[in-house]
Amino acid sequence: MDLLPGQEIRSAPRIMTRERMRWYVDALPTVEANDGRIHRGGPTIHDDDDYALGQGLPGIIADGMVSTNWILDLMLRAFGPAVLEDPGALTTKFIAPVYEDVPVTTVLRVEAVAELPEARRRLTLKVWAEDDAGKVLTFGSAAVTLPRG
Amino acid sequence: MATGRYTSDLEQGEILGPVEVVISPFMVREYCHATELHQPCFQDDPQPIVPPSMVHLEKLRLYTLYCPEGCGPNARVHYCFDARWHAPVRAGQTLLVQGLVSRRYLKREREYMDMDITLRTKAEGRLLVEYRDTICLSYREAAKDAA
Repeated sequence: MDLLPGQEIRSAPRIMTRERMRWYVDALPTVEANDGRIHRGGPTIHDDDDYALGQGLPGIIADGMVSTNWILDLMLRAFGPAVLEDPGALTTKFIAPVYEDVPVTTVLRVEAVAELPEARRRLTLKVWAEDDAGKVLTFGSAAVTLPRG
Repeated sequence: MATGRYTSDLEQGEILGPVEVVISPFMVREYCHATELHQPCFQDDPQPIVPPSMVHLEKLRLYTLYCPEGCGPNARVHYCFDARWHAPVRAGQTLLVQGLVSRRYLKREREYMDMDITLRTKAEGRLLVEYRDTICLSYREAAKDAA
């Protein structure tokens, strides 16, 4: 892939459904238990309306790691598993809540391409997740080292 | 190991761990299924790569061990994920996880806490992942602005 500064790679939008929020909530105790069975998480601001209201929110909001993982997913789709090689970096800040049923599009923008020895190159990226009005919800940066070509 | 403590009790300079950890293929597949990371390197490999985002769960592991009473009176909110990886982590590797409460501070009248977490191989001590996790401890106040 020929990559130049300023180039943007965008995902198809995904709806931040209640189910997607709950999948993440339940994944945490399931992973922690590590016994091959599903475990229920919560109540949290991500899956329980009353709990979210009690915390001053108008409704449940997504865990920021959901959009972070969707950004990582776009990096992997765009560049392949070399993204996971040394050295790599991903930073995300959760600057606005993601409410139920908001369409979320993730975006990578190439900021710099540095040629490296041994036919490799280092990409510096701006990354973000935005809603259907273009409002940025999650914002950050990433760096990946890829084979050239 | 502390018991009966809340996350909000942690103080700057406190070290949590090191804790010996083995991440299983089940843990990777379950996490990646929930977050829709359907790549074969996570889902189909018998010894899958651990996605670098999964380092966030190591913070939760340390919270469970050292702050078993949970987050305290207010829900905490995750504000920033900041990870650097130096090699792929594989399921089945024996790792050492350590956390350092590197900073507690006030910003715009809200209290934040940074925790620096490292994942190393147990055998060689090789650094695999560095992660800085930032949370807002006073979520109720932050939520008023977010809403």
